Amino acid sequence: MTTPPRDGLAPDFLSDLFRHPLDPGYADAAARRAEHGPRPPWRRRGAYGLKVLTLVAIGFLLAVAYRQAVKAEPEATRAHAGLVGEVKSAQTATDDLQNQSDQLRRQVSDAQAAALGADAAELRQLRQEEAATGLAPVTGPGAVVRLVDAPTPIDPNTGRQSDQPVNRVLDIDLQGVANALWASGAEAIAINGQRLSTLSTIRTAGSAILVDFRPVTSPYEVSAIGGPNMLGTFNHTPTAATMHSLVTRYGLSFATRSEDHLQLPAAPAPALLYARPEAPR
Amino acid sequence: MIAVLALIAGVVAGILIEPTVPVYLQPYLPIAVVAALDAVFGGVRAKLDKVFDDKQFVVSFVSNVLVAAFIVFLGDKLGVGGQLSTGVVVVLGVRIFGNVAAIRRHLFKA
Repeated sequence: MTTPPRDGLAPDFLSDLFRHPLDPGYADAAARRAEHGPRPPWRRRGAYGLKVLTLVAIGFLLAVAYRQAVKAEPEATRAHAGLVGEVKSAQTATDDLQNQSDQLRRQVSDAQAAALGADAAELRQLRQEEAATGLAPVTGPGAVVRLVDAPTPIDPNTGRQSDQPVNRVLDIDLQGVANALWASGAEAIAINGQRLSTLSTIRTAGSAILVDFRPVTSPYEVSAIGGPNMLGTFNHTPTAATMHSLVTRYGLSFATRSEDHLQLPAAPAPALLYARPEAPR
Repeated sequence: MIAVLALIAGVVAGILIEPTVPVYLQPYLPIAVVAALDAVFGGVRAKLDKVFDDKQFVVSFVSNVLVAAFIVFLGDKLGVGGQLSTGVVVVLGVRIFGNVAAIRRHLFKA
């Protein structure tokens, strides 16, 4: 093996690094030994002791680094599991509150019926208005519009699902479908079982779509109660045409079907803090 | 022989003592491992080349670890810690590969 130039760095440092990976100090030390003879015994013994100490330190370092790497893995998993648990318990709490709200709503309507008498004209009008504004569950014939995200692209090299972004249904698509259904004569609409009222919002937060601040996920089913002509009218709206072009361009799926019997839940009642009904004139 | 025993003793001590690494030292651990491996493989190769030197081995380990740690420390302060760590790993990795190749030639004559 040739000794690399000792006057600082070789002009081509990297190729020198590739050609002579061994520390040049070893060659130097060997040359010095050949020239001056071996070092005195006390220095040799000292260096030997240091070498043994260094090797102990290296072994220690390797063991510690291995333990550290093993320990870090379950920590990440634990954090993930904890977050999943938190999300699950928050969802359960929301469902419980939703059930409680439904129950209270039933109590209110029972109390109204008791106060007004079971077949008073006021009660019937109240029920009618509640149904129209979305504050009471309704049933009737109608149609369902189904929107699904494009399938996850498959990586052609690995055959697994690739990390490329999926073409998703956007909040604006759901807004457009809901508006087109209203325009086609729908009387009540729900998205994945979330009834829309006059104050409902459909918007994106992160990668989720929130309807009235409750997340809905693909497949999205927009159920609408309306007359027999509603679906035909809807299919001729510009929104339906746009959805069809999204299907051909981005691989989303979009389908409509009629339903004889749809059951839509009530929308959450808006809490009016400042608005007061006008006094009858 | 003594060298191998010392290495094993270090590993056993590390397993038995179960030290906890302070948080501020954790980023240096991988770099220190790579630097230590470079020193070990360099030493083995020198042994096979019959030019091994105790002092040179100790100095190369200590300076490898210190320089690598210093570069990472400086990189962290400058906000390019990741890139500088990569640089350290590449340079030491090249040396490890070269030395392992030389060891292989010594042992298997191939």
